[in-house]
Formats: sequence, C-alpha cells, structure tokens
Amino acid sequence: MVERKEIEHLGDLVKVDLKEPEKYIKQVEQIIKYFDRLDTVEFNSDDTLRNEVDSENLRDDKHEPYDISLIDHLKKDQDNFIRAPKMV
Amino acid sequence: MTRIGLEIHCQLTKLESKLFCSCKAEYRNLAPNSNICPVCAGLPGSLPILNKKAVEKAAMISLALGCTIPQKIGFFRKNYFYPDLPKNFQITQYNAYGPTSIGSDGKITIQGKEINIRRIQLEEDPGRLVYEGKSMLTLVDYNRAGTPLVEIVTEPDFETPKQVRVFLNVLADLVENIGVSDPYLEGAMRVDGNISEGDGNRVEIKNVGSFRDIEKALHFEMTRQQSLLERGIPVVAETRHWDDARRITVSSRSKEEEQDYRYIPEADIPIVLIRNESIETIKKQMPESIVAKRERYVKKYGIPAQVADVLSSDRFYSDLFEKSHNEKNAKEVANIITTDLLSYADTREKKLELKITAQHISSLADSIMDNKLTRNSGKQALQEMVKTGKSLLDVMASLDLGHVSDVNSIEKIIDEVFKEEEKAVTEARRNPDTINYLVGKVMRKTKGKADPATTLDILRKKLSS
Amino acid sequence: MNLGISATEFVSQAKVGTISVEEFVAKTLDRIKLVEEKVHAFITVDNQNALAKAKEIDKKIKSKDKVGICFGMPVSIKDNLCTAGMKTTCASKMLENFIAPYDATVVSRLKSEDAIIIGKVNLDEFAMGSTTEFSYFGPSRNPWNVDYVPGGSSGGSGVSVSALECLASLGSDTGGSVRSPASFCSVVGLKPTYGLVSRYGLVSYANSIEQVGPMARTVEDVAFLLNIISGYDSHDDTTIKNDSVDYTKDISLGISGKKIGIITQMIGQGVDQEVVSATNRAISKLQELGAECIPISLDAVEHSVAAYYTIASAEASSNLSRYDNLRYGFDFGTEGYEFKAFISKARSNFGPEVTRRMLLGAFVLSAGYYGKYYLKAQKVRAMIKAQLDEAFKKVDFLISPTMPILPFKVGEKIDDPLKLYLTDINTITANLSGIPAISIPFEISSSGLPIGIQLFANSFEEKKLLQAAYALHKTTHLPEVPL
Repeated sequence: MVERKEIEHLGDLVKVDLKEPEKYIKQVEQIIKYFDRLDTVEFNSDDTLRNEVDSENLRDDKHEPYDISLIDHLKKDQDNFIRAPKMV
Repeated sequence: MTRIGLEIHCQLTKLESKLFCSCKAEYRNLAPNSNICPVCAGLPGSLPILNKKAVEKAAMISLALGCTIPQKIGFFRKNYFYPDLPKNFQITQYNAYGPTSIGSDGKITIQGKEINIRRIQLEEDPGRLVYEGKSMLTLVDYNRAGTPLVEIVTEPDFETPKQVRVFLNVLADLVENIGVSDPYLEGAMRVDGNISEGDGNRVEIKNVGSFRDIEKALHFEMTRQQSLLERGIPVVAETRHWDDARRITVSSRSKEEEQDYRYIPEADIPIVLIRNESIETIKKQMPESIVAKRERYVKKYGIPAQVADVLSSDRFYSDLFEKSHNEKNAKEVANIITTDLLSYADTREKKLELKITAQHISSLADSIMDNKLTRNSGKQALQEMVKTGKSLLDVMASLDLGHVSDVNSIEKIIDEVFKEEEKAVTEARRNPDTINYLVGKVMRKTKGKADPATTLDILRKKLSS
Repeated sequence: MNLGISATEFVSQAKVGTISVEEFVAKTLDRIKLVEEKVHAFITVDNQNALAKAKEIDKKIKSKDKVGICFGMPVSIKDNLCTAGMKTTCASKMLENFIAPYDATVVSRLKSEDAIIIGKVNLDEFAMGSTTEFSYFGPSRNPWNVDYVPGGSSGGSGVSVSALECLASLGSDTGGSVRSPASFCSVVGLKPTYGLVSRYGLVSYANSIEQVGPMARTVEDVAFLLNIISGYDSHDDTTIKNDSVDYTKDISLGISGKKIGIITQMIGQGVDQEVVSATNRAISKLQELGAECIPISLDAVEHSVAAYYTIASAEASSNLSRYDNLRYGFDFGTEGYEFKAFISKARSNFGPEVTRRMLLGAFVLSAGYYGKYYLKAQKVRAMIKAQLDEAFKKVDFLISPTMPILPFKVGEKIDDPLKLYLTDINTITANLSGIPAISIPFEISSSGLPIGIQLFANSFEEKKLLQAAYALHKTTHLPEVPL
C-alpha cells in the first residue's frame, strides 16, 4: 500500500511540492503493483544491455573554450554569478 | 581502540580539460562563470564526453595504490539537489552493483602500517558557492563544475591521527610524483574522515579546509569520544563539521537528512573497456612504484625491510637516496636518511628548507665507512650541513670533527687521563667492568672523535701492563 | 502548387527551378495559418526566418551556387530538440521561454544541407505520453478527425507532416513516440538503431533508449532524412562509428525471398479487430511480393511494458532534476525562499504525467528497491535482445501492428495512466532492445482513422528495413487527408 506519507517522501526526493498528493497515490500504487511482475521473471543471464567503448577511443584531453559566452544566455546576477536562494 | 577511515578527494590538476567537456580543468583565478559550456553548466540536451586522459590518470593512482582495475568501468549518477550541481546529480562511480570503479581493493604500507584502500573513483567536482552579505545570499560559480576528481576511500585502518597525517603526506607526494596532481594547489586535495572508539558509533568529519588540519580535527574528535565513553555516554552517529576558527568539531546544525542518492547508471557514457595493453602502456608512463622500490632496496642493497619501508614510501627521501648512493655505500646512505635526516625534516615545509645535497650525504656515508668519522660525529656533521649547506670537509674542519684513530694520539690522551684519574685507574684494574668510565673520559677529551674500538684496545693494554 | 508532394519530389523540382522555394515556403506558412487552430501542431512558427532563408536559397539555385541537398525543404522539429535562437520548450511551463544557445546535431546537419526549420512542434511534456495531450500548450489533434488524438509524444511532428504543414519532421522516439503518431496520423516514421543518430541537443527523457527519428509522407523521404542526420557525433559518446550508408540507394530492391516473422504477442489478445485484419492483409501483400511469413514468439515481450516504464521513469526522474529555475527556466525570484522550498515550488510546475513519472522513478531507484525493479528491468532488456537475436537468425524482419488500437478520442484515456501505458506494448520492444523499427501507413479504418504497420530489423539494418517498408508502402492506396 502506498500512503500519503510515502508519496510525500517521493515528492521530497524529486523536490516537487505536490499540491494534491492524493491524486497520485492510487495511480502510483496501481503502476508499482504492475511493476512488481518484474520480480517474478526468471532470468538465465545477468546481462544488461549497455553500449561499450574502448578506452583508447575516448576524447583527447584538449582545452577548447566554448565559442560563445554562455553566461550571457543564462540567468546571471551580479558579477556574472548565478544566484541561488539562501541555503539555511 | 580508535579506528579512522578517510575519503580523500584529489583533483587531477595536470589535465588540460574537464572530465566531460573541453572547458579548462584549471578553474582558479578566472572571472565567474567564464569557463563553462552547455555540458558543464548542465543545459538541456548536452551530453558528457569522457576525457581519455582522466581515465588514464585515475588508473595511475589506482595502480600506485595497488588497486585492481576492472576490465570494464562504468559511471553512475548520484542524485541530490544542490545549487553547486548544475544537473542536480553528480556523475561518479559506484561499486554496489559490481566493481566498476577505476580501482578497488588496494593497499599501501606506510612506516610498517598497512592501509587498505577500499575504492578509487573518478568523478566530477561541483561548482563553487559564495555566500554574500548578512542575508547569506548564495552565488554560484560553475567554473569548477566538471573538474576531474578522484575519490580515494580507505578502510578504517588508522589507529591514530598521526598515522593519518603521515599517510596524507605520503599520498600527496605520491600523486605529485606520478604526475596526476599538484596536491598543494588550493582545494586540490580535500579530506573527510570518519572515526570511532571501540564499539562506539562512527562519526563523520567534514569541512576540513586544509588537509593538514585533519589531524587536529581527528584528534579533537578522538578525545571528545573517549571522554564521552569514559563517562558512560554513548557517541551519537552523526556528521560533524570542523570549525576552523574555534578548532573544534561541531555537530552539523540541521541534522543532515537521510540521503537517498538513488544511484542510476549513467547511460550517456558507454561502459569503458580497459584492455590489458592499455594498462601496460599506462604502467610504462609511471615512475617505479613504492612496492617495487622497497623490494629493490631490500634485495639489491640488503637494506633492512623496515628501513626500506620508510625510505620507499617517501618520495622526497627516496629521490635523495637514488641520487646519493652507490653500490658500496647504499646501506649507510639509507641509514643516514632514515635515522638521522628524517628526524630533522618530516614535513614538506621542513624538507623544502633542507640545505643538504645528495653529494653531502654520499660523502658523509663514505667517510663513516672509511672510519674517517665516527657515527656520532657524523650526526653532528649532518646537522650542520642541513642548516648551512656547507660541504662535509668544511663542516668537519669548523666543528673539528676529524676522526682520531691513530694509536699515538690516542695513547697520549690516555696518558693524560691516567694522570688525572688515578683512582678510577686503580678501580678499573681491580674491576674491568668499570673501564667504560675511562673510555668516556677519552671521548670527552677528543669531543667524540676518538675511535671507540682503538681506545678500548689501548686502554686494556695499558691497564694490564 | 501542391503542398502534398513528397520531400523527394520537392527536391527534384526545386533543384531544376520548377518549384520556387520562396513560393513553396510561403504557401506552407499560409497552410499552417489555416489549419493550426484545428490541429495545433506547432508551438513556434518561424515565419520571417523561414521566408528569408527561402529567398536566399532561391538565389543560390538561380546563380548556380552550391546548395545543400534539402534545397529549402520546410521541416518541422519536435520542441525537445534544441534550436539556436528559437525557443525549445519541451511543451513545459518549466522551459516556457527557454532559448538554447546551440543547435542539436540533427538540426545543424539539416541546416547545413539547406533545410528550412519552419517551426517547432508540439509534444507531450518532455516527451512523456503517447497522445500529445500532456502538453503545457494544449493537445494537438488528429488531422483525420480532430476529435481524436494524433498519437504521441511526437504528435506535433505527425500532425504537421500529415496536415501538409511541412514536408518532413524530426521527432524523438523513447517508447514509440515517433511510430505512434506516424501510425495515428498516417505518415511514415522511423525509430533508428540506438547509437545511429546523435542525441546531442535532444532534451533527455530516458536517455538509454531514445533516438531521434525522421517522419515524412514516404519511405524514401525518411531514408533521405536519415542520410543527413545519422552518423557518429563527437558530442555524443553513444553514437557508433560505422561506415556511412546511402539509405535511398536501392530502396526499391523489393523483398522477394525475404523471411518475415509475425510477432504473436503483438497481434493477439487486446488488439483491435480492425487492426488485426489490416495486419493480416499487410502480411498477404508481403507474401504476394515474394516474402515468406512465419509466426515468431517473443515471450519476453510480456514483461516489456513493466520494464520500459521502470527504466523510463527512473531515467526521467534523474534527467529532469536539472530543472530548478536557477540557471534558466521561467522567471521566479529567489527572494524569501530557502533553497529546498524554492526549487520544490518551482518544480511543482511540471505537469501531472511528468510528476507521476518522477515519483515512480524515485520509487524504483530508492534505497533497497534498485535490485527489485531497475536491475530486473535492465535484465529484461537483455532478455528481449537475446530473443530477438534468435529470431533474426530465422527471419530478416519482424512485423506487427504499430499500435494495438485505433486512435481514440481526446480525453478518453487521460485519467487512466496504466491503460495508456499498455498501448505502448508493440513499440517499446525496439527501444528496450535498441533495434530499428518503422511504422508504415497502411489502411484507413471504417471509421476513417489511420492504421499503421510496423516492421523491425536487427540493429543497424536500416537499409534493409527501409527497402521492406518501401515495398509495403507501394502496395497502399491511401486517401488524402480530409482536413
């Protein structure tokens, strides 16, 4: 059973104020119940599907400045800093 | 018993570009947010492109600390919200679902103490927060975001804060030596610790500004925990911050919420295959490892294991050893460095102040071996050379340290002593065990320069005649 | 001037000057003005630049300067692909006014071949949905019947191509988001092999499975676009360095002698009867063209919806973390807020479907549950791929209806997410396994709604796949869109 407290906890994890947590409880519960079937699948391999690359083919360590002043396209504050709310 | 473990963050300062983009790795002294691009600023649609050299440098650290490098490494996202994280997750490595971080299960022996390395991971540094004014406005500069960082996690193998300091000095020398980092750059090396007493709870210590302060922070914390336990008060498992001004640890004001990082594989970066040939190439670029060096010292020169340990784990002194020894005097050089020189200079600052050169040490060892100097005089000469940088000959002359081993000179001095110490001579004739008193007198007269064996020889002859 | 010609036809005429690019683009803009209030495909229309660019290309053609192979073809772009200087909203309040400073690689490749980006088209918010109803800017509507959904999430792409508002479009396909609207709007849509097309500039939703895909009115057009957008990109480490392939060459080779597997799990229970009959007719057509069709069972498909939504939600919850309104995003002052309160309030502006998936993602990734959900879902992916590899030892292609149901009415399923998720059953197999799949418009139902057929091939076999799709599409005689 998914309860209000849990939905609020999930909301806190993804940092979303849930205006109507009730709205999500039933749906999330129903979907998770559906996901539970994954637990019953029997696998004969531990493989997961991932792309692979040889370490020799990675990007060379070269400094190339970005071609525009990116900060001019962002919400900049005084002295080109980004402003954040206070932390405590 | 005290148990201390460390998490050391070490920036790979020798790289040109960031971990996942081509912005500059060196972010210091730049105008705010002038070293950013869509990737490191976390813009929608941008993708991380892994820096080959960062993987190589992290592999070097792993090798140097005796870690196993897996054939496949992977990256994970550590999800948490913080304004210094442009994507609100950090790309890092994670071993919970199999060893996919660049190094695991290493070990390093320092002054006879074995420290196990749990894990080494390659990750991105966050940006920097600047707090402004009374309102504590937070300003963010992302120039540092994405700087390549290696996190080294040790097992809780340290028993004293002093061991931690020694280890960190060695580690700093090591990363510098293999050319991955300049650990003395501001913020290049940062340390968090965890410490517990006996069966007590573990306390994390964060926010230690300089990695030299970690010893003080750990010491404070150790004493605090011991005194709690003595009074029967249990230690609370918590995170404490080092208050630099008050020199104490303080419980984090708002108890940090139980973090659930929801690790998830970073699918934008494929699994990286590290072939054996690639590791061999990396090994070739690395200077000799501490372990190999230690073995060479023991096998080739017959240096005692404990001495070899100390010598090999200290880059500065092993370099000095390499420059000053030859086949013949290696053992003596090792001895001079580890027993005498090390006691004068055990910190980086003191090492830098040393005026002594390889040439000095080499000639000192030769003189001792050729009986031109007693070991005692050798110590004095060394001390003088360390301070002044003068040559051995100059030092010996100015301190009058020449070795007196010719029989005539010593006989003359013994004759003088016999005149002055009639009582002691009589006593020595009756009881040979008291002869050392007379040896001491001779030594005092020669300021320690008389060869002890020769002196004893002549004394015995004269006493029995 | 006929706006309903194919992109290939447009190119051949513009090249020789029998079509004026400016005139075609102007007509297209008129058409957009005319039909938009009915279908709502576009979020942004770039009237001025499109016309200016068209003039410029006409000039180049006249003066015999070098012209890119698109010759001014008007193309629409899903609004989760970054376009420098033009808004990229992801149909979200969170990026309502966001202007990316750079072009997605697929967009810059189109531009460098002189395609004209005529505008940005609608989608479910951050591509999460299969109806385009979850757009912050309101739903798009099906040109074949505006009471019905156009499919999604690349609904705007499907609608704009179908309603003759452009010649082609780029969508993105995470779980069928190109093929669903292709099927519902009666156009061709391809989901390429994972790693064939760059994702740089595609705003991530479920980054381990999604690809940018071309949509157009003919298979040849789709092959033409794929030629331009595919290939290794140094800005995307997951793109593969393969030799370049001309997908248009030999496209009419036919499928005689080829073997096609009918995926039994995708044509059985729960599939609309009309869809089943249409699929059977498609199979007969392919047999008439000389292909051999046999049933193939892929039992891992039964776990695919659970695996897909586990992975997609988990990745979405991480990918969408960056939207905190500090660096970009709608205006919202920081004064008076503490950090957590601020971002939680800002992020409450995500729509309900996105929020739902973030909550689900947080759940399946939270401490202790990774092994139960995410890891199992990853293993299902490998299991599906293994079964597909087995199947492709026996057959060249696989076939299924693209969607198990006909388009449904706007609002009909919006309150039952799980029911909606289950309609993805036929498309997500290609995403979980990485293989390419294409939806071909095949019939119009008795109620006047499109039915699409889906063909799959093994990884990086797009050339073969397009040949088969071309052959099947040639057998159809579809009416014009009744708009």
